[in-house]
Amino acid sequence: MSDLKTAITLHKIVKEFSTGSQTIRVLHGIDAEIQSGELTYLVGESGSGKTTMISIIAGILYPTSGSVSVFGQDIYSLSDDDLVRFRLQNIGFIFQQYNLIPTLTAAENAAVPLVAAGMGRDQAVKKGEAMLDNLNIADQARKLPRQLSGGQQQRVAIARALVHEPRLVVCDEPTAALDAKSGRRVMDLLREVALAADRTVIIVTHDNRIFDLADRILMMEDGRITHDGKTLPDH
Amino acid sequence: MLKSITERLRGVSFVRTILPIMAIIAIIVTAFIVLSGQPDRSEEEPEISPPKATAAFGNADSVAGSGLVEPSSEVIDIGTSLAGIVTKVFVAPGDQVNAGAPLFLVDDRAIRAQIQEATASIARAKAARDTARALLATARQQSALYSGIEDERAVSKQEVIDRSGAVRTARAQLAQAEAEIRSADAARARATTDLNRLTVRAPITAEILSVNIRPGEYANPGGQQGGGSEPYMEIGTTDPLHIRIDIDENEIGRVQLGTDAVISPRGEANRRIQAQFVRAEPLVTPKTSLTNAATERVDVRVLQLIYRIPADQGLFVGQQIDAFVRAKTGENFSAEQAGDSQ
Amino acid sequence: MTWIAIRMLTGDRQKFFGLLFGVAFSTLLISQQLTIFINLLERGATAVYNIPTADIWVMDPVSRTPDVALPMPSTALDKVRSVNGVEWASPLLRSGATIRTPEGDLEGVTVVGVDDATLIGLPKTFIAGHREVLYEPDSVVIDSSGAAKLFPPGFDPIGVRLELNDRRAVIRGIVDVDPSFTSQVILYTRYSNALAYVPGTRNRMTFILANASDGLTAKQVGERITDATGLKARTRDEFARDGIDFIVENTGIPINFGITVALGFVVGVAIVGLTFSLFIRDNIKQFGALKAIGVTNAKIRLMVAAQALLVGLVGYGIGILLAAIFIALGSINSPDFKGFYTPWEIPVLTAFVVLTMIMITGWLALRSVLKMEPAEVFR
Repeated sequence: MSDLKTAITLHKIVKEFSTGSQTIRVLHGIDAEIQSGELTYLVGESGSGKTTMISIIAGILYPTSGSVSVFGQDIYSLSDDDLVRFRLQNIGFIFQQYNLIPTLTAAENAAVPLVAAGMGRDQAVKKGEAMLDNLNIADQARKLPRQLSGGQQQRVAIARALVHEPRLVVCDEPTAALDAKSGRRVMDLLREVALAADRTVIIVTHDNRIFDLADRILMMEDGRITHDGKTLPDH
Repeated sequence: MLKSITERLRGVSFVRTILPIMAIIAIIVTAFIVLSGQPDRSEEEPEISPPKATAAFGNADSVAGSGLVEPSSEVIDIGTSLAGIVTKVFVAPGDQVNAGAPLFLVDDRAIRAQIQEATASIARAKAARDTARALLATARQQSALYSGIEDERAVSKQEVIDRSGAVRTARAQLAQAEAEIRSADAARARATTDLNRLTVRAPITAEILSVNIRPGEYANPGGQQGGGSEPYMEIGTTDPLHIRIDIDENEIGRVQLGTDAVISPRGEANRRIQAQFVRAEPLVTPKTSLTNAATERVDVRVLQLIYRIPADQGLFVGQQIDAFVRAKTGENFSAEQAGDSQ
Repeated sequence: MTWIAIRMLTGDRQKFFGLLFGVAFSTLLISQQLTIFINLLERGATAVYNIPTADIWVMDPVSRTPDVALPMPSTALDKVRSVNGVEWASPLLRSGATIRTPEGDLEGVTVVGVDDATLIGLPKTFIAGHREVLYEPDSVVIDSSGAAKLFPPGFDPIGVRLELNDRRAVIRGIVDVDPSFTSQVILYTRYSNALAYVPGTRNRMTFILANASDGLTAKQVGERITDATGLKARTRDEFARDGIDFIVENTGIPINFGITVALGFVVGVAIVGLTFSLFIRDNIKQFGALKAIGVTNAKIRLMVAAQALLVGLVGYGIGILLAAIFIALGSINSPDFKGFYTPWEIPVLTAFVVLTMIMITGWLALRSVLKMEPAEVFR
């Protein structure tokens, strides 16, 4: 992996939530750089701030202070609509609960980002089918999400995250709802299909079954990065 | 190709395609139902056209009134001067009669008997006169005998007085007899006059409008007795006919007296007859309504205008008409008002 | 994007049909009640609209409606005829009377006396008989709903003798008119007959029907009549309006129907609003995901609007068709609904109400989506 490039730069990210009179500081000034072409894990206990962190990286949560640069673009200096457009073009999302639209078929679900970007229905669905084919579930393209197993659903979700070929893919606990075997298979696929030279994949997880697949693990505790390495620190 | 069509057909979703189409059809059907069900509130022309002021005088002002057709002589209610049973009616409604023509006859037998009686009296009086004349001649001759004797002693004075007295008596008797003749003559003349009076005659040349007496009915000089007091006969001059137009008293000021009127018979509004002004009745009278209701009370007074209508219009006496009379034009109306105010 | 919205909406049949039912039901309720309301009110105007020939009604200044009127002296007719601009004028008598039917029942009727010569004031459509029957002696023409009220179904009333204020009246024709608000039996007869049928008061002529000359509007001529005669002159539409206003002012109908219509709206908003909110809430995660992926709020609004429009269109279509059919069938089959029609304004108005309703509920449901931070999908 010689052609690592800095894809994302976090600079002094602070995030505070106020609940009534109380203000809780979740992130305490994080500086980090994430390279493309790597599978980066963001791990930590719940409440450690990793979800807030990934939200800020993905451009869906404004930090209280600090700046985020994604592929050289300071995303929080963009207008709201530009930020939405930036996300649509550059970021793919994979959610813990898949969040597939239950009344659309697998192929149609996979095509949603293309449709949102304005592509015609037939062409978008065709691309969605092709993506499902890449993920080896082409035979399930016409089925509705509830007719699919959890692993298959997550693969549809992955297809949706990748169909528009984003440069950044963020995954929130992709294996949490899956059994070990399916989770493993999903991660293998993700690694195989998603990871490319100019693509950054960030995975938030605390599923220790899949830590061995990481290229880099950032560990968070109480709003700070406490570890950065190929593997977890030994205890 | 075929496969793609069937595939498409299968792809047609009931909920997403057919339902909205059905909804649009439903809305179109509704629109049709609603639009075809709108009530007809169009206005239209009356089937029988009513009298129109505009047709009478164009756009000029007019005063409307209603009226009745009447004879130019007005209606003459014929009465009788003598009471009696009617024995003969000489005319029928619609007849044209000349002045003096007999109309009906009241029972004349009693009068005729009176005439005969008077004639008999005359004959008797004449006989008495003859007797008186004979007596007078005799008395004169006897008296002449005495007057020829010069010797006063030849006849007694008594005798002479008797003879001359007989002559005077006979003369008086003759005078009485002649008076009786005149009296009987007069009685006959009166009876003959009454006989004439029993024949009721037309006072003017006119048309018989109605006949309400028939032979056998009793005619009274005071007209018929009882509530339905119809005249025995109505006559009137129907050439020309007049019309009597009622004008509401509030409109009197607007009427231009002396000008023509345009009239239309009821129900024949399209016929417009030009009528010539005759006169205005000097008396403003309460309006007569034609409802015949006994309880009718009227608080409206009307001015009656009389107009002559041309001959042969086919109008009948008593017919109702709608009339439009010319109103004073704006100029002379306002001029008159200005004159009033000065 | 909208096809996705529609698919999201129609995917859950239960909720979708619930929404349709809600919209259809309130459409039906609102439009049907409004229609009945309007039609009931317009019963106050039928007496005017039943006479197609007159465009001006002249009456005593205190007269208010066709049935609340003070008669005028008979010379008023000539006064009106004398007004420049009046094309023609004819008398009309409207008065209440009681009749005795052949069975001996007593029934209140409205006697309408029309001009003897022209029969102006008669309705247009004869179901039985023709205009000229009125020239026969003692002849009256009855209105169709009155005939239905007086006689058993299937009975032919032609030739029936009625007793009208102790006078003989023979039914010689049936006219098709919309019943009045009180749905009294209406008997049309000639003016001179009517004078005999109606108990005698000093003045009998209730109205003068008139028409404006060419080139003048009814309004202008009406003003001239008022100036010249001091009588009240109303145009046809004004007088129809007066009849309606009288009902509005003197009955509780507007309030009652207003409440029903408001209830229809509230029920509609409640059903549709709740179902729609429920539907949105069920899909909130999907909406969140869409927002995160990069769908702008504008597009989300568009999606919800598309969903609302579909529900509105289909629900409205069903509801309005049912309402129109209900009124159309009712006016054919029931004498109570005779003459009822759906004014074209009502479907349009209902469409706006439904649109408002669906927009309000859509907006309420949408608020939670728009307010939602996309970041919430990560929790």
